[in-house]
Amino acid sequence: MRATLRWAHSDLRTHRGEALFLVLATAGIVASLLLATALFGYATNPWQRVFTQVRGAHVTLHTTASADAGRLAGLDGVESVAGPYPTAALTLASQGGRASVELRGVPGKPEVGRPLITSGRWLDPATPDGVVLESRLARALLTAPGDTLTVPGTARRLTVVGVADSAEPRYRPGERSGLVWALPSAVPDPAGQVVGLRLTDPGDTGYAVQRAVTELGAGAIGEVATWQQARAEAQGDNRLLGQVLGLFGLGALLAAGFAVHGAIGTRIRGHLRDISVLKAIGFTPGQVVRVFLIQHLLYALLGALAAAVLTEALGGAVPGRLGDAVDVWQGLPGHTVALFTVPVGAVLFIGATTGLAAWRAGRVPPVPVPRPATAPAGRLTGVARRALGARVPPALVLGWHKAFTRRPRSLGAVGRLALPLLLIVVALSAWTTIDRFHGSPERMGLPTALSVRADSSLGDGGALALLERDPQVAAAYPGVEVAALVPGQTATIALRGLGTHREPYPFTLAEGRAAHGPDEAVAGQGLLDLLHVRVGDWVRMTVGDQPQILHIVGRSIEPENAGRVISTSLDTLRANDPELRPAHYQLRLEPGAEPAAVAERLAAAGRGHLDVHTVTNPADGLSPLRAVVLGLIVVLALIGLIELLTLIGGTVREGERDLLALKAIGLSPRQITAVTVTATAGTALAAVLLATALGLPLAHWLIDAQGRSSGVGAGIAQGPSPVLLLLLGTAAVLGAAALAALPAARAARRRLADTLSAVA
Amino acid sequence: MSESTTPVLRAEGLVKTHHGEGAPAHAVRGVDLRVARGEFVAITGPSGAGKSTLLHLLGGLQRPDAGSVWLDGERTDGYGEARWAVERRKRIGIVFQFFNLVSDLSVADNVELPALLAGVPPKKARAGRKELLAELGLEGKGRSMPGELSGGEQQRVALARALVNHPPLLLADEPAGSLDSRGTREVMRLLSRFHQRGQTILLVTHDARLASAADRVISFFDGRIADDAALDAGPPPRRAGASGVLELKD
Amino acid sequence: MRLHLLALLARGPAHGYELKQDLEQLLGSAYPQPNVGQIYVTLGRLEKSGLIEGEDVEQSSRPNKKVYHLTDAGREALRAWYEETADEPRVRDEFFMKLALAPRTGLADQIALINRQRRQYLNTMRQLSKLAAAEDRDNRISHLLIEGAMLHLQADLDWLERCQEELEELE
Repeated sequence: MRATLRWAHSDLRTHRGEALFLVLATAGIVASLLLATALFGYATNPWQRVFTQVRGAHVTLHTTASADAGRLAGLDGVESVAGPYPTAALTLASQGGRASVELRGVPGKPEVGRPLITSGRWLDPATPDGVVLESRLARALLTAPGDTLTVPGTARRLTVVGVADSAEPRYRPGERSGLVWALPSAVPDPAGQVVGLRLTDPGDTGYAVQRAVTELGAGAIGEVATWQQARAEAQGDNRLLGQVLGLFGLGALLAAGFAVHGAIGTRIRGHLRDISVLKAIGFTPGQVVRVFLIQHLLYALLGALAAAVLTEALGGAVPGRLGDAVDVWQGLPGHTVALFTVPVGAVLFIGATTGLAAWRAGRVPPVPVPRPATAPAGRLTGVARRALGARVPPALVLGWHKAFTRRPRSLGAVGRLALPLLLIVVALSAWTTIDRFHGSPERMGLPTALSVRADSSLGDGGALALLERDPQVAAAYPGVEVAALVPGQTATIALRGLGTHREPYPFTLAEGRAAHGPDEAVAGQGLLDLLHVRVGDWVRMTVGDQPQILHIVGRSIEPENAGRVISTSLDTLRANDPELRPAHYQLRLEPGAEPAAVAERLAAAGRGHLDVHTVTNPADGLSPLRAVVLGLIVVLALIGLIELLTLIGGTVREGERDLLALKAIGLSPRQITAVTVTATAGTALAAVLLATALGLPLAHWLIDAQGRSSGVGAGIAQGPSPVLLLLLGTAAVLGAAALAALPAARAARRRLADTLSAVA
Repeated sequence: MSESTTPVLRAEGLVKTHHGEGAPAHAVRGVDLRVARGEFVAITGPSGAGKSTLLHLLGGLQRPDAGSVWLDGERTDGYGEARWAVERRKRIGIVFQFFNLVSDLSVADNVELPALLAGVPPKKARAGRKELLAELGLEGKGRSMPGELSGGEQQRVALARALVNHPPLLLADEPAGSLDSRGTREVMRLLSRFHQRGQTILLVTHDARLASAADRVISFFDGRIADDAALDAGPPPRRAGASGVLELKD
Repeated sequence: MRLHLLALLARGPAHGYELKQDLEQLLGSAYPQPNVGQIYVTLGRLEKSGLIEGEDVEQSSRPNKKVYHLTDAGREALRAWYEETADEPRVRDEFFMKLALAPRTGLADQIALINRQRRQYLNTMRQLSKLAAAEDRDNRISHLLIEGAMLHLQADLDWLERCQEELEELE
């Protein structure tokens, strides 16, 4: 109705700032929720899409060259088989760098696990030395169809004829070899075989592996990779990012709901008189409720709409992973539904909290009465009185009293202000954790910065000597990684032997102790979860066809391989297999050394015999997280600002009635201003303390829970540095005081006549 | 001229008790009242007697514990808060002692609001507002906010707001209560003027001057009507009355 | 009336009729018409007391009129009058006596008495209002007079309320 619109319109004019903040905050929240949805979609879907299109193999088995892998076709539950294909391990070099690859001889195009050509073409007999690279590998080597790759140490050259997508676990430099398809003639001397099984029941993977192992014999099995592993790896960081965004988005939504509720409640309290008059004039309670409801729903809707439009239009332009995610998401089927439901859901939630507060507005009686006496606030405490007696500035004492004596109201105000601050503390913890990954990786399970593979020409001692000669290398640890079958033989895990008893590898321990004696090992969280064991248990696994029994004495933080790693010293493994040579060397650098520079130097010193990689830092993939955390802190700060403005407005309004009394006591206008400023700053201080007290443990718990679920292991959580917290607290308190100063000063200088009419 | 015989306002057996912190206060105890069309009735009495409560009951701002109110012959027992609000738009205009105006709205908006609520087209509402403000001596104050006006001006705007829809009944609760004697005179003059045009007015006041402007004065004591007197309309006898009061002592 | 005439003469000498006109002009229509006869009698008394002195003035077509002027004694009396303060107003003790004695006589109900008196006051107030409305706007003194009367009436009415409250309590 027109009257309602008129009232709403002028109400908007007087509360422009608050309206703007609400719109912006809603926009931020909806944007973060939409991005979270995009990331989830991006995380799950592309791999799923590729897997379906390539008719991927559910189980990929690497066996010895002599195993009769063809027998697996007849296994129960196996629908079809890819291969067996001969494989050989090589190092390839291009202008972009080097990579260790698995060369797979494939006649024709396989039916199961058919690679999706993204550029170039498939192999054809006309080019006998043509190869097709997997897309990640091609990107790492910076090659395109038509380029030539060399095999260092030989004169062999291979031509890239195409690049394809596959659904198998991806190339990770230094950890997992890349995949290269070639004609069988290019693999004359296979080191092993690979066979892919497509199952009738994908959930049956564990049993399928078991049956395969039983069929071929444990000794014949090398590494086993399942489709779940491939998917988890592909999703990996995106999933984490999506979870973080989603969590924060929801938390921010909750905080915003509270903020809106509080803002409306305070506004109503200050406008009781006006609402009574409006009702006396003839506004029905329903109309009153409707005005507040519609106003705030409109703000929320505006913000949500703006966020949705911006995300649609500009989301793809965001650099990095987020932009890719939005691009992909826009092509997915659930996209329109999500684009619609997320903003609507957010608006409805805000509408619900608004409705609750607005309903109370409708209940205001239509009889305008002088400002009703608020609930008795309580007498000045003994402490306060003594403080006054001790010449503490009265403004401080009165301000303190004002902020903290009206129990339910002040607790509510502190709580509502603390919520966004709490989320900011959690965000800062996340930021610090990621920072630690970069700044002090040895505390986060990455004690070594470089990983070096030496080819056989150097020999064991020679390589070690060469590496340790570099002045910036603090220590070099020889190591080997083998695939071991778990008890039950349903999967393979990575068994690492790193370091020797003389020079043990500095694992980052979260629980228990380091492995000293023979047969002692430390395991990652992922492994403990997989095998359902705890620190202190003994585990039995099969390496090749040899059993290996290890005593888990500690839990280490394992960022790689989803934590499903068990590590012991090289000597322990050598006890079972004296012929074991170190396959790679992990280098710990001197503090302050630049890994890339050292890597170049070593590569140069190695003269082509050394393959140096920087160890991937899991936090590298999380760098978009920093930008996200920053954006979220901005949104949370906005919400906190709304809360603060509400608090200040309420305090100033309630102070009006005391203005005359305070003047009569003998306080100057500046002191009266100081009362309000102190009250506001006091509340902000209490909120900061509460937020820190609750936020730090919460952040720890959340980050550790994430670490535990991703297999890296609990214990990675790092709280923000005390300096940062102090900065946050100071900013909040000073900001609150500054914001309160202007309106308080204006109120303190009001003409007496105005205050009389305001209070009477 | 035949006038309708249904009273504009009729109340029977109104009872209202406030339950506050201490003992319950019986504000209105069994009040019967009748106001005919065009009458100007004043209710006087000591403060705390329940005059304001009675007015609130008659305007639907509070619900009586017992008794009924008839507006223009229609019984209002079953009216909910929303229904009363609708009545207040067109049939009843109310002026309070304080807080008559919405502090966020300009004077013009304040006056036009009841008209818009009643469904009057905005142009007509604006015209009505201009006319009323001019009549009350407030032209040019349309854009001001209520906080910028003096007490007397605010009450005049309140009067304009109450009368913009030409309601059959005007209820006024101590309209000059917060004004000085000049403001009181202004209010009195305005009320008389509107009364002469046929407006039915029910006025609660403790100011004898205002009360004397009415046709009928009801004395309200302790929740009950103690006296209901019609004031003489004729010219004063020369010796007694006014001159007697003005007698200069020798 | 004596001192009022003295005050009027302080401006300058005047005769009786002029004084009557002065009074009317000063107080306006609110004030009851001053009785000419009473003025002349008062002037005579004042002359006897020696506060004014009269002189006959010859007029051609009319009887002689007497022009009066203030003497020193008169001026002194005037000054003394201005220096002393006025008494407090008396409470209408006649009504109060009626009220107080009513229960004894059994002839009148106190509440009814109060109500009747109130009606009287209200009517008087109404007439004063009409008077004020009819009076010339510029005659400030006249308006002040009327306002003073109204305020007194208000006080009386408030007092009546108090009486009624007290009596209602007793019941």
